[in-house]
Amino acid sequence: MEAYILHLSIMAGIYIILTVSLNLIIGYAGQVSLGHAAFFGLGAYVSALTSLNWGLPFPAALVLAMLFAGACGLGLGLPTLRLKEDYLAIVTLGFGVIVDLIMVNLTITGGPDGLVGIPAPVIFGLSFRPPVRYLALVLLTVGFTLLVVHRLVHSYHGRALRAIRDHEVTAQVMGVNTPAYKVMIFTLAAALAGAAGSLYAHYITFINPESFGLHTSILVLSMVILGGMGSLAGSVVGAMTLAVLPELLRRAQAYQDLIYGALLIVLLIWRPQGLLGGGKLSLKFLRKKE
Amino acid sequence: MFLQQLFNGLTTGSAYALIALGYTMIYGILGLINFAQGEIYMCGAFVAVLLLATGKVNFFIAFAAGMGAAALLGLILERVAFRPLRGAHPLVPLISAIGASIFLQSLALLVFGPSDRPFPIQFTFSTVTLGGVAISTLQGAIFAAALGLMALLVLFVRFTRYGKAIVACALDRDTARLMGINVDRMVALTFIIGSALSGAAGIMMAIYYNATYPRMGLLPGLKAFSAAILGGVGNIPGAILGGLVLGVAESLGAAYIASGYKDAVAFVILILVLLLRPQGILKGRGH
Repeated sequence: MEAYILHLSIMAGIYIILTVSLNLIIGYAGQVSLGHAAFFGLGAYVSALTSLNWGLPFPAALVLAMLFAGACGLGLGLPTLRLKEDYLAIVTLGFGVIVDLIMVNLTITGGPDGLVGIPAPVIFGLSFRPPVRYLALVLLTVGFTLLVVHRLVHSYHGRALRAIRDHEVTAQVMGVNTPAYKVMIFTLAAALAGAAGSLYAHYITFINPESFGLHTSILVLSMVILGGMGSLAGSVVGAMTLAVLPELLRRAQAYQDLIYGALLIVLLIWRPQGLLGGGKLSLKFLRKKE
Repeated sequence: MFLQQLFNGLTTGSAYALIALGYTMIYGILGLINFAQGEIYMCGAFVAVLLLATGKVNFFIAFAAGMGAAALLGLILERVAFRPLRGAHPLVPLISAIGASIFLQSLALLVFGPSDRPFPIQFTFSTVTLGGVAISTLQGAIFAAALGLMALLVLFVRFTRYGKAIVACALDRDTARLMGINVDRMVALTFIIGSALSGAAGIMMAIYYNATYPRMGLLPGLKAFSAAILGGVGNIPGAILGGLVLGVAESLGAAYIASGYKDAVAFVILILVLLLRPQGILKGRGH
């Protein structure tokens, strides 16, 4: 039972990183990415392949995973972020399909079977194989992510981003370089998703393309909407809720996607601000917790 | 080989074109992407297949019923997932449409199960040899039927009062309202027409691939959206052209480059179009 709770906590932590990074794109830059799981997957594969084939230590693999996912985000964001938000949604969805096909078709990625025997992280001789230590590692990364994102969105740059979200033309008139900001935030979010992928790969130790498909992208999107777009604390709560809820409702597993789909529509119509409401309320919540 | 692939591409391309028309018309009038278009395609196919499986229904009635059911689903979607959110940030209806798409897909999975259903009627189609290439008359029939529907749509939009009213709403919704056009009704009509065309495409592909299943709309829906952008979003002839070009490109890409990456062709084209010519082949109205 204790092992099970540890497992759930680790997975919830990984989902928090994913949700916070997607929320950066949706809630702060006002764009939609439907291929977030692809960056998650790219991070996982890069990290796994570099440690399996080159024997890279975990921190180096993690950094490489972030760089690679971030570079892909940059490459994808540059042509599309100049356009309207709908394009990004469909391009990222398509990107998810392309990445999935590449993972399935390449031999180096192990095809549909994926990769096995990914080593547990060892940092300065300390193995993170025991779940308690892994949880500490995940929580550390979650804390670091939250800190970076919190500092970012409450800086000059964060205000510029919110201006873009609320009214792009006005932001542009006020001298905000809107395409540059959007590309920057998209790259950062992709890199964070890559980090989550690396953490996932070294924890689960076997990965296949199935974990990084559209289903996962939609799950993370649901987490963002449930918690509230543009609310960091909301993302944490949204990710934890949807990471744990399916485990509690095992019997309703067949209805999981049905529920997520309905949840998205119902929330947007009746409570578009998500569980925790608008930015201000959620910030108070965060401060109280800290 | 080349001509064979060309005809295969034109057949699937005509289905993409029909779905792309739905995307383009709805985008033209609302400025929104109806992400659930692929599920409407799936719904049309399922209704026709289930009706035909009873053995009591004529093929043409089943076809019309499939299109009707798709139109009804489109209308319901407009009421439930789009209308309450009109005027919100464009992100909001986009996400609610994604929700609708996931919902319908998993609902179909629960009701119909995950396995493929073959098409209940066996058509006896012969192959015609044309310039050394064998074309099945099925492909020809699908292509002709799709072209017929497209021609009807173009005539409707050009020459009828309702068609012109839809164009007026797409050009300028507020002015159209001032001219006495009931904009809400025109939006609903657009959803009905676009969805009926997608439903027709679904039935055609259910016959062509001899398979109907809950996820069948996912990839065609996404590819058709790429087709709409390729042709110039909001542009009706553009959607037709984009669909056909995409179908052919995909078929040739699978034959000459790598068959494993067939489904990636559409998205690579999409990214290239956005990079090089974001307004599409024929200039779209959206931007």
